[in-house]
Amino acid sequence: MKLFFAIFITLISLQLSAQTISGIVTDSNNNPIECVNVYLEGTYDGASTIADGTFSFKTNAIRTQLLVASFISFETFTLSADVSTLNNLKIVLRDDVNALDTVVLSAGTFSAGDNSKISALTSLDVVTTASAIGDFVSALQTLPGTTTVSEDGRLFVRGGEAEETQIFIDGIRVFTPYTPTTNNAPTRGRYSPFLFDGITFSTGGYSAEYGQALSSVLLLNTINDPDQEKTDISIMSVGVAIGNTQKWERSAFSVNTSYINLAPYLAIYKDRNDWKKPFETFSGEAVYRYKTKKGRLKLYSAFDNSNFQLTQEDINIPEGVGFKLNNSNLYFNGSYTTKLENRWKLASGFSYTYAKNKINIDANAIDDTENSIHTKIKLHKSFSNRFKLNFGAEYFSTHFNEAFNNENISSLDYGFKNNITAAFTEADVIFSRKLALKAGFRAEYSALFKETNVSPRLSLAYKTGDKSQMSLAYGDFYQNPNSSILKFEQNLRAQQTQHYILNYQYNNDGKIFRAETYLKNYSNLIKYDTEFTSFDTNYNNTGSGYAKGLDLFYRDNSSIKNVDYWVSYSFLDTARDYRNFTNKAQPSFANKHNLSVVGKYFITDWKSQVGFSYAHASGRTYTNPNQSGFLNSKTKSFNNLSLNWAYLLSPQKILYFSVNNVLGFKNINGSQYANTPGANNNFARRALKPAADQFFFVGFFWTISENGTDNQLDNL
Amino acid sequence: MYKLALIIIMFLTSQVEAQTETQYETGMQKAFALWQDNKPEEAANLFERIANADNQNWLPSYYAAQVLIYDAFSKLQEPKAMELQLKRAQNFINDATTNSKDNAEVLVLQALLHTAYVASDGAKYGMTLAPKVARIYAQAYKLDPKNPRVVLKQAGWNKGSAEYFGQDIAPFCKEFDKALELFANFKPESKFHPNWGKEEAEAMVKSCKQ
Repeated sequence: MKLFFAIFITLISLQLSAQTISGIVTDSNNNPIECVNVYLEGTYDGASTIADGTFSFKTNAIRTQLLVASFISFETFTLSADVSTLNNLKIVLRDDVNALDTVVLSAGTFSAGDNSKISALTSLDVVTTASAIGDFVSALQTLPGTTTVSEDGRLFVRGGEAEETQIFIDGIRVFTPYTPTTNNAPTRGRYSPFLFDGITFSTGGYSAEYGQALSSVLLLNTINDPDQEKTDISIMSVGVAIGNTQKWERSAFSVNTSYINLAPYLAIYKDRNDWKKPFETFSGEAVYRYKTKKGRLKLYSAFDNSNFQLTQEDINIPEGVGFKLNNSNLYFNGSYTTKLENRWKLASGFSYTYAKNKINIDANAIDDTENSIHTKIKLHKSFSNRFKLNFGAEYFSTHFNEAFNNENISSLDYGFKNNITAAFTEADVIFSRKLALKAGFRAEYSALFKETNVSPRLSLAYKTGDKSQMSLAYGDFYQNPNSSILKFEQNLRAQQTQHYILNYQYNNDGKIFRAETYLKNYSNLIKYDTEFTSFDTNYNNTGSGYAKGLDLFYRDNSSIKNVDYWVSYSFLDTARDYRNFTNKAQPSFANKHNLSVVGKYFITDWKSQVGFSYAHASGRTYTNPNQSGFLNSKTKSFNNLSLNWAYLLSPQKILYFSVNNVLGFKNINGSQYANTPGANNNFARRALKPAADQFFFVGFFWTISENGTDNQLDNL
Repeated sequence: MYKLALIIIMFLTSQVEAQTETQYETGMQKAFALWQDNKPEEAANLFERIANADNQNWLPSYYAAQVLIYDAFSKLQEPKAMELQLKRAQNFINDATTNSKDNAEVLVLQALLHTAYVASDGAKYGMTLAPKVARIYAQAYKLDPKNPRVVLKQAGWNKGSAEYFGQDIAPFCKEFDKALELFANFKPESKFHPNWGKEEAEAMVKSCKQ
């Protein structure tokens, strides 16, 4: 009996003999942290630190316990020890490198996503920029590093040609991203912007994951989960569109179709083209998403058919050149991502492109067919928050075939197969919240050239202050020549660039300033010796060139209420000796100065967003045969002011107006000269003007959904 | 002898159980007191500790999230601090959801968390989060149409967007009346189950009548 009482009393006293746990919590600079949550795991015992970083609490727990100290934006600290030793502790919390203010590898990259850490543009901006009229490519042209080539519409980045920029959807290559157009009207991106919720635009120095792009990559991520079931109806001055989204427990399916016909618009506002059959396009796209337990499957497919016919003006052919085009394009993209055991992640994808062009130029018929595939597999391992490794392999295959028919000669049939195998690996090391490094390399084997290229990539970022950081990037990039060369000659090599980039970024609550300077060296560019490429042309890889410049960007959406604006300026100094150039010269697609200003003002009382965008581009080069020299003259500078107005009739009905080139600047893109001199030994000149100086757009967008709050503002 | 041992053991274990019961109660009460004393971070920390010790219970995580979300509305002008705090709150909502699936009360908190983002920067978050908020309220209403907080908060959200678009707010005023009725008949499952919102419903009904 006595024994039992003894045990009983010991037990009770054990239970009641509270132990005091105490200490101080600081950051790595020895500054005390207030309100850290310190407690013993699995018990009710704990406390918050007070202003001087100290804490103290009592516990009845005995023996070995796990002490936890946690605070936002720091890594959680744990210590397993006997309770009796847990006093006068000195706990130092390490910075959590996943926190918001960690340094970002920003050299060369603009992220436009709702999830990105520093976004220069959000996805909504892409579709509410006045000059863009819903085209994401056009919106990106308001960012620094791009050159305005208004009759082309594609992305020309830092002295590079348009084909040097590659576009990827969910990490998988898009081989034919642009719609066909006449030679005096800009093209548009084939894919509607509202499919994407993240856009990363890199103007240089990008990751080893991406290859076959000399200048730039544009990465588009499709939306994972649509919010709700809905039907979208759009009635526009240029056509109609209808879309529908269905949702289930784990999956969702969306379809969109559109029909665009410029005939009614052109009947009211004639342009400079002599149309036989105005531009007409039918397109449809479908997306299916399925969520597995740990991953996601996305299937995307799009089909479109476009056609038009016109007579193009030509100074050498008084009656003009008959031009007719019919383009069919099918694109399929499938991707699967999943989490594996032990912080491994797998991403894989596949794309197939079928593109067919039937082109008639006077009596010549050209039929070309491209079949391309891209397949990729990538593994990602996160060893810790501070060290991550990526590696993967991919395969590109393009089969291109062209048939040329003319009554006077026997028909010609030619083409090429361009197959490339590549492997890449890259490591992300975050040394601290202040210093981060990404390093990797990429190896590519071209079956066509029987050639292997290895390209290193490196980027480094250092935080210079609370709100500012510097980044450096270096990389080698290879790209095979395009189909206009390869269809005639395959005994060549890949073209090459080297990028050196230095970036400074300042980011203060709604105000972003970026300055980036770069140098690009081009080598192994294709040169040839005739005016137009053909079978008789001699080709080699001896071309070279450079581009260097400074890009500035400033955005402020916080200083003035409801006003958001950004300003971009690019200075470019570039020259190259390639194609049939007689000497190193500034190519006609490049100019020295580009300025872009975009502003948006939300007028709450009017339920309206009004916006403007202004672009200024200095003159582009052309060759004037009346003077000596090559690319010896410049056009006058280009100016464009566009306005837009989105009016929300109700949460689900939007009326949208936009006018391109409100002030009616008479822009000139270049000059065409007669082949033979006329009287006075002078070559006659024709100015290359845009198809239309101005463009008007009116649209009505209506969303029908169950709960009635969604609208198509993100569709404009 | 054997019987005595059993009695002692039973006494001890029951005491331990009673003690944890009171520890939970005193802990929760202390956390509510801290919240009332306008010490939201300390309150959230204490709720977090209780959630940690009582890791099958959704209530402490629910309140940890609620404290942080309410406090975030006072930090709308400091986007960084607000975002950090809401990220922490989101973790608590996730924990609460793990312990109690398809819970209309937790869904209301999730909608409020998104609402804080929308309130801080409508241009940045409105287009993506507004439809989500509406969908979450619809889901909560489907799960528990008699929950007064679901009816109140859903009506509040819809009234806000109707006012913005200059539409009639009368249908939502009716919803506030309905919420008030539901509050009158509402009995929380325990003294720590959510039981807030009646005053807000009264205020809404009043403002509708003005």
